[in-house]
Amino acid sequence: MNSSIESLIYSASRSVEEARRAAYRDPSRIGELVEHISVLADLRQKEGDFRKAESLYREALYRVQDVRKPDPELTLGIHSLLAYLYDRWGRSEQATEYYEKALKIATERGMQNTDKVATIKNNLAMIYKSMKDTEKAERYYHEALEEFQRLDGDNSSRVASVFNNLGVLYYANMDVERAQEMHERALKIRRDLPDGDMDPADLSQTFLNLGAVYKATGDFRMAEECVDRAKRIRSGMNGYVTRPRRAASLLIDRTA
Amino acid sequence: MREILSIHVGQCGNQIADRFWRLILREHGLGPDGMPTGKGMTSNNSSMEVFFNKVRDGKYVPRAVLVDLEPGVIARIEGGDMSQLFDESSIVRKIPGAANNWARGYHKEGERVIDQIMNVIDAAVEKTKSLQGFLVTHSIGGGSGSGLGSLILERLRAAYPRKKIFTFSVAPSRLISDSAVEPYNAILTLQRIKDNADAAVVLDNEALFSIARGKLNRNPNYMDLNHIVALIMSSVTASLRFPGKLNTDLGEFVTNLVPFPGNHFLTASFAPMRAPGQEGQVRINFPDLARETFDEANFTAAIDWANGVYLSACALFRGDVRAKEAEENMALIRKELNFASYVPTGIKLGYAETAPEGFASSGLALVNHTGISAVFERLVTQFDIMFDNHAYTHWYEESGVSRDMMAQARETVAQLAQSYRDAS
Repeated sequence: MNSSIESLIYSASRSVEEARRAAYRDPSRIGELVEHISVLADLRQKEGDFRKAESLYREALYRVQDVRKPDPELTLGIHSLLAYLYDRWGRSEQATEYYEKALKIATERGMQNTDKVATIKNNLAMIYKSMKDTEKAERYYHEALEEFQRLDGDNSSRVASVFNNLGVLYYANMDVERAQEMHERALKIRRDLPDGDMDPADLSQTFLNLGAVYKATGDFRMAEECVDRAKRIRSGMNGYVTRPRRAASLLIDRTA
Repeated sequence: MREILSIHVGQCGNQIADRFWRLILREHGLGPDGMPTGKGMTSNNSSMEVFFNKVRDGKYVPRAVLVDLEPGVIARIEGGDMSQLFDESSIVRKIPGAANNWARGYHKEGERVIDQIMNVIDAAVEKTKSLQGFLVTHSIGGGSGSGLGSLILERLRAAYPRKKIFTFSVAPSRLISDSAVEPYNAILTLQRIKDNADAAVVLDNEALFSIARGKLNRNPNYMDLNHIVALIMSSVTASLRFPGKLNTDLGEFVTNLVPFPGNHFLTASFAPMRAPGQEGQVRINFPDLARETFDEANFTAAIDWANGVYLSACALFRGDVRAKEAEENMALIRKELNFASYVPTGIKLGYAETAPEGFASSGLALVNHTGISAVFERLVTQFDIMFDNHAYTHWYEESGVSRDMMAQARETVAQLAQSYRDAS
């Protein structure tokens, strides 16, 4: 294990311990404890200790309900973090259960029109896709897409990402025509993004995905051209490694 | 370091904790606040770390997690002279209680609190260098100690598959019964102890009661019973904490005491049994000490001695004991004990130089005897009478434990009893 995460875990553990003592003496400080627990859980997850991360998130989940007026945003956040953990752990059933619970909280508390909820829907769609539940995956991608379009307008990187994900879903279901349409829309947005927002890795991935679609339609010339474009973009990245996108805030599927 | 983490669950588990930690503090020359008193045996012992974590101001904090679903007993510990002893971050108190119902402790209430408990245990384990294992104290007849205790055992085993789990499990007795559903709780818990613990010392309240009554010359109370348990727990771990010629750790106990997987239900005896404060009054010679240690009336479970055999036995003597004398006497005692024909070995011996406070010397026997099946059979019979008449089972079904689950646990315990009978 890398020593910097080790020392971060050490100090986060001490903070949790202190917060436990404080909450034990004064139950009104449970909120602080929950926040410290979430920090430690996130580090445990990064460290790869999913068992401990799960226990921590689940404690946070119950603790937050002990408060007289549970903070809905915090409750939703913890559900979503726990779901994300289960997803990374390969426990799809539990991941969907907790994402669905998070969505229910959002609906009950009037938070359905937020980017957090749109992100959850995108993530949930990805899991349903991996579980071969195409119908639910498509529905959640479309709901996420609508929400991101409403929040960001038609031309944002988040909107492009959902188009990309939909393209991958259609391609996996042999619906090549719609896959092509989705990837072309993703491509148009990604090409036109301002420099600061444009991630060359995303753009190159879109070319690769599109290349796969053209290959499936039998248009080998276009397929080759797309793959060439993707290669050129990658070679121009000079060893630049994309930042990991599988963050709890936004999961974007870029696999073809 | 070979640290041990104690986990005390439920009312009974925490009452034992109260007596146990008082005794351990005195054995290590510590005051009720965990500060060295300058008296006692601190200088003699080199392994304070087994049971304590030393913090910055020189205070020793018990490696202990206290858990209960109702605040009473823990609140009394916190309100008493040990109020500064335990780390508040290691105490888990939740209300409402488990209402004597295993299912509530295991499912309903347990589910809400088990992760907090595991996080507290994980944090305590992270403060050790080389954890040897866990001591769990609980009753198997109540709701919290049995139901939540079972859940803790399952999670502990899953999280720490290589660490030893030693339980001190108080079985219900007809003489001192708190509730009608105790046999249900006990059977459901015994199944989890069988599946998840490495060894369980069965503490039968009935047997403890009769030891206390016989040796203390008065009507005993729960404190007396728990004091006996504390003396046994202290002695089980004595050779890890105090210097001695033969060290016996939890792993060695398990290897020697458990001949067949699952048959890890032990009974224990402590000698000389005296009322608190009267320990030093009678100086006992070794042959008498050894005899009392292996006296059938001195064991903590109502064993059917006549219809069973010894599968294994360990003895640990503390204090002023000469090894040669011990070996000679134990060889004689071994000849008198009815061991299974296929067990060729003698009694495994251990010594620790320091006797419990107030004693010049003491003896502990930990034995695996097939007559323990009588304890299980008694509980199965009590279980059957109620279960066959569907009495009280609705409380369990309402909290997520089906009759099938209960029947399965009953079958496991009946098979366990049979496997002990078969080993005779």
